[in-house]
Amino acid sequence: MKYKDYYETLGVARTATQDEIKQAYRKLARKYHPDVSKLPDAEARFKELNEANEVLKDPEKRVAYDQMGSNWKAGQEFKPPPNWDAGFEFRGGQGGANPFGGSGESFDASDFFESLFGRQSGGAGPRRRATVQGEDHHAKVLIDVEDSYRGAERSVSLRAAVEGADGRVALQERTLDVHIPKGIRPGQHLRLAGQGAPGSGGAKAGNLFLEIEFAPHPIYRVDGADVYVDLPLAPWEAALGASVDVPTPEGTLQLTVPAGSTAGRKLRLKGRGLPGKTPGDLYAVLQIVPPRADSDAAKAAYETLAKAFPDFRPRAHLQG
Amino acid sequence: MERTIVTTLRGSVVEEDVELTIVELGRACDASEEQIELWVLEGVLEPSGPSRQEWRFGGGSLARVRLASRLARDLELNASGVALAIDLLDRISSLESRLGR
Repeated sequence: MKYKDYYETLGVARTATQDEIKQAYRKLARKYHPDVSKLPDAEARFKELNEANEVLKDPEKRVAYDQMGSNWKAGQEFKPPPNWDAGFEFRGGQGGANPFGGSGESFDASDFFESLFGRQSGGAGPRRRATVQGEDHHAKVLIDVEDSYRGAERSVSLRAAVEGADGRVALQERTLDVHIPKGIRPGQHLRLAGQGAPGSGGAKAGNLFLEIEFAPHPIYRVDGADVYVDLPLAPWEAALGASVDVPTPEGTLQLTVPAGSTAGRKLRLKGRGLPGKTPGDLYAVLQIVPPRADSDAAKAAYETLAKAFPDFRPRAHLQG
Repeated sequence: MERTIVTTLRGSVVEEDVELTIVELGRACDASEEQIELWVLEGVLEPSGPSRQEWRFGGGSLARVRLASRLARDLELNASGVALAIDLLDRISSLESRLGR
């Protein structure tokens, strides 16, 4: 296990006041919040920030953490000194920062944090034994664009914190087979009634919400219900018009490219996007790819072309 | 050998087929009814129905309330801060999807 320097994470001195810690945390939280930030490691950074803040914002935990001394370096191999926490009594205080937790998931603390402060149980406050409907849970499912065209089945593995009969919280894994309905769009949610946390006292179980995410595809881009595909053309196909094959997730289609097409033009295949009550469209985005002049014959062909267009001035509009 | 027969679960697509009450929305998104009411006042959410008890939220509200709830909790934003952030995030994502085409 590696030592974590929580002061370094928040970029504050070990002598920082509680206000300075709060300020530093807020500033960095805005920068790395995964809903806001585009940085690839935002989620990991935000988790680190939350963990550091969880310790340093709480004077009791901060004193205990400081107690281990300041000679440790971040990343150094670490073992808590024996009895380091003797004499400290941590009050609840859990469940405060619960990044991405949503309901029912436990605070996602590192091994380092747990070795010092114990495992954090999800949810705040004591559990009542009254009749309470189970919490709703959330998870993400990654599918391919083809799955939305055809409908599919996916096995979804879920880990949830479950409280045992002895009151201890343990992670439990279960697998569900879920039908992915035809026409589902990225970012939509499936609600599975009764697949959330069990209710107590005979109350109903909560629901499970699955957020649908599309895996990036080498050819297709999906925007809402519409699907985009780049369609490269030879210059003569674009100029003279042509009938070309377009790949779509439901098979190859013939598309008539009108004469005089230019690069960037979008040809719409109505209703060939994601299926549904109002199906999306499929757009072929035209690209023009010139052949290389890498043989004498090819060079001659380009020279003939140049001679055929003595008045062609592609940069005419650049001259004032 | 014992074999378990696994049945495939079928859910409903929230954005297409589901309307939520304020209680269901709060439960699904870990947000309080008071918070949701404030977000409605700020225009983040537009339920149908005349009064809070009769409000019905379209399925698209689920993702918005989850986002609002994360922003409010993690960045300690008040309702108008949440509304502004969501407006800006909406604009960014529509610009990005135009770039991606």
